[in-house]
Amino acid sequence: MIKRWFPNGEWMVILALLAEIGIFSGVAQNFLTTGNFLEVIRLSVELGLLALALTPVIITGGIDLSVGSMMGLAAVAFGSLVMDWHWSIFAAAVAALLIGCAGGALNGVLIAEFKIPPLIVTLGSFSAFRGIAEGITHGAVNYSGFSKSFLFLGQGYVLGMPAQLPVLLIALGGYAVLLHRSVIGRGLYAIGFAGNGARYAGISVARRIGLVYFMSGLAASVAAIVYVAHLGQAKSDAGTGYELDAITAVVLGGASVAGGRGTILGTVLGLFSISILQNGLHLAALPSELTGILTGTVLVLTIAMDRVRARSKTSGGEEAIEMKNSQVAILCGAILLGSLITAGANVWLVKSLKTPSAASATHTPVIAVMPKAKGDPYFVSCRIGAEEAARELGVELIWDGPTGLDAAKQNEIVESWITRGVDAIAVAVENQAGISTVLRKARQKGIHVLTWDADAEPDAREYFLNQATPEGIGNALTDEAARLLGGKGDFAIITGALSAANQNQWIAFIKKRVEEKHPGLKLVTIRPSDDDRDKAFSETQTILKVHPTVKLIMAISAPAVPGAGEAMRQAGRKDVDVIGLSLPGICKPYILGGVVQTIFLWNTKNLGYLTVYAGTMLSENKIPPGATSFQAGRLGALEISGSQIILGAPLLIDKKNIDKLDF
Amino acid sequence: MKKGVRSQESGVRIAERFRGEISVGVAIVGLLIVLAFLAPGFFTRENLSDLVLANMPVLIVALGMTLVILTGHIDISVGTMFAICCVAAGEFAKLGLPAWGAGLAACFIGATLGAINGTLVAYVRIPSIVVTLAAMVAFRDALRWITQGAWVQDLPSNFQWLGTTQAASNTITFGIAVALAIGIGWGLRNLPAGRSVYATGSNANAARLVGIDSALVTFSVFAITGALTGCAALLNSIRFNQIPSNAGLGMEMKVITAVVVGGTAITGGRGSIQGTLLGVILLGIISPALTFLGFSAYWERAIQGLIILCAVGFDAVRSRWGRAGDFVERTA
Repeated sequence: MIKRWFPNGEWMVILALLAEIGIFSGVAQNFLTTGNFLEVIRLSVELGLLALALTPVIITGGIDLSVGSMMGLAAVAFGSLVMDWHWSIFAAAVAALLIGCAGGALNGVLIAEFKIPPLIVTLGSFSAFRGIAEGITHGAVNYSGFSKSFLFLGQGYVLGMPAQLPVLLIALGGYAVLLHRSVIGRGLYAIGFAGNGARYAGISVARRIGLVYFMSGLAASVAAIVYVAHLGQAKSDAGTGYELDAITAVVLGGASVAGGRGTILGTVLGLFSISILQNGLHLAALPSELTGILTGTVLVLTIAMDRVRARSKTSGGEEAIEMKNSQVAILCGAILLGSLITAGANVWLVKSLKTPSAASATHTPVIAVMPKAKGDPYFVSCRIGAEEAARELGVELIWDGPTGLDAAKQNEIVESWITRGVDAIAVAVENQAGISTVLRKARQKGIHVLTWDADAEPDAREYFLNQATPEGIGNALTDEAARLLGGKGDFAIITGALSAANQNQWIAFIKKRVEEKHPGLKLVTIRPSDDDRDKAFSETQTILKVHPTVKLIMAISAPAVPGAGEAMRQAGRKDVDVIGLSLPGICKPYILGGVVQTIFLWNTKNLGYLTVYAGTMLSENKIPPGATSFQAGRLGALEISGSQIILGAPLLIDKKNIDKLDF
Repeated sequence: MKKGVRSQESGVRIAERFRGEISVGVAIVGLLIVLAFLAPGFFTRENLSDLVLANMPVLIVALGMTLVILTGHIDISVGTMFAICCVAAGEFAKLGLPAWGAGLAACFIGATLGAINGTLVAYVRIPSIVVTLAAMVAFRDALRWITQGAWVQDLPSNFQWLGTTQAASNTITFGIAVALAIGIGWGLRNLPAGRSVYATGSNANAARLVGIDSALVTFSVFAITGALTGCAALLNSIRFNQIPSNAGLGMEMKVITAVVVGGTAITGGRGSIQGTLLGVILLGIISPALTFLGFSAYWERAIQGLIILCAVGFDAVRSRWGRAGDFVERTA
């Protein structure tokens, strides 16, 4: 019976899923509610579409790494057709689907006709699709402002269900029929088991293989449209990293990467065990790094148990004894896993129980603060200030965010905070249009909303903690460059990722300032560093050679300044200046060594401090509407202008003052 | 007459032997010719030496990856291992170990992580892409959690350039990379251990039947890849005076692309170190070459992807015309 319903040990995933649900309903607040359940489903739709599409691909023994990139390409094409070319939503959607089909067909032809291994083909189209999307939009264009009726598809409810759920259900039904109830599906299993055998049995292998890649391109473009409707924005970085999550879901669901095994049921189970894990960790306010660690562990454990089981079956002979051994092994594994999870859960329980009991008399405000990316040194130093303020005020601080720049993840975490019920949310916004919808929802639920570092739409938050305007930063950098160059000369910019919204805003203001005030300056090139010190280093070396006239490098991403500084030091080019936007801590050796002249930054610790302070004051209603200033603890009185709290002008950091700064 | 036939035959044999490498070679030569005409500045000594140094870490990791792919497996956790080894090397150096000691420690940690992958792949028999996918995600997040994104700073002064001069340290780096490439390349062709890597990748069961411990071979290539990653991490770290904790992001893609573009079959059993070398060269020069040629950075990634697809596609088309009916053998 079990064998028939769960041919690939999917019951193990069910057990893991049940364990997750059991633990989180104990540990996480508001986890076991219908509302949360529906949110989990909403967040799983895009990933689910990709995972469904990858199931037949993996069953044939192939792989498709290009699905995430195809999402980016289809999203950008859709956005551009609607916004720039004024096509109707329907026509643009059809065009985006056709692009998905074309991309899928390209993969399919190369794999099925030209017999190039799928890993290589999709590795190539992985960078080609994303590259085209970045090329079309220059990485910067962010299409937003779609009509309400379209956004309903991603944000609305139909009969209490998320509006995009039918899309997932149709795809689910379609793929289930295709794989488990059709001749084509049987053929796909045959191909995965033994490609030659399938061919000799009269299955047109090439056509079937082509079909699954074609469909995977199509599914990726459907996911792209849902993604755009969900976030309200289309940008070239849509779907970054989704391919790995989707593959994880499929493999977790018992599909064999060697081909021939896998079910749609397994994929769905795998998908939900990942998304429930992420959701539960957010609700329990556990650091999101645990997601990766736990997913990895669960993945290896489930498959290891499955392998132990499979091996015992293939070795004949002492079958009876082998079977018993394997059962013991599985049992041991299950007990081990169970006890590990219980032990872990206990630790967390104790942890999460401690805070409420300590402050049971009066309600402790919970302030949830989100950086743009958790590992970024800039936000790491903001966190120090935030923790200081939380200690001083005796509030509970939840500090969580995406591990890399990821607008969709930010929405997901805010959703989970709303479900959990916090007093104030402060977000460093990655994407304005995308996050505003969910922030408005938080305000409707009575949660105080702030933005810091970068702003959302004004009506989505109460206050924006303004550390420095993009215009102020652009002007300060350009003026400093003009001062160092004596008003005349060539300069180059090293930015973060080409699609980074902040940097692109600064670049726009830098260009404007050059045009208006410093006609002698000339921006010769903009190179990406992808926020990677080593890449900034090599890019600087290349710029120095390709553009020998460049006399100044402006590095506007925190890790890029030390990269450019080191390149300058090693090249011994004393005649080229380096300025930028970075943290004093990592630039200190270069500023003292004289290779980096000036960096700009505001006091990041103070920014973190202010964020938590303002959040607490708001949640205790201590900032009356219409106030023009506000007392922010050790920072003293800060000006409130309109709905912005101003931290102060950006700090100019050079040889003279760097020793006094401790962030 | 007879002589002519023989030389023709050996010509064919050479072409056959370097079958996988030809299309990459053609792509590199083509790119270089274009550069020679349009941007001769590319060929300055300074630029070439910068490029060589920047690509040494990728080359060293790619050597290990070649072994892994030759056995028919894959390791997508190298970028994560690279980051862990970088941070570990820095921390050990701060504890007072000399740079070479920190390097050995980093290699040891890399080898341990590789051995974990190897054990799960070779003995527990979990597909390598699953094991290394899990390792990539889990270890990266663990590192992020432990370091909280902070860089390793205040390294002892004898860490950068191994305490010697920049030129000497660059020579040492180059020397180590070349020695490793030649050693592994020679060993693969001439040592029993090297041949057993090919045998395992061609057909693991057949290899076992002729007495090769194919599980041990698989385990070893993963451990070696880990150790090489540690070595690459050290050689990269000593060029700077601080260590970012997010090093090696996306490195696995770069390395795997270099290896497969270099003609190593992803299904195992076919490929070579010289092919990998060419693959690393092609990938290493594409991006700076496009900059020299004045392409906007916004189109670079698309062009890179297309060049790779062309190089691989050309190879596939040629081998399809050359050897019809080869499909069965290659996809099986």
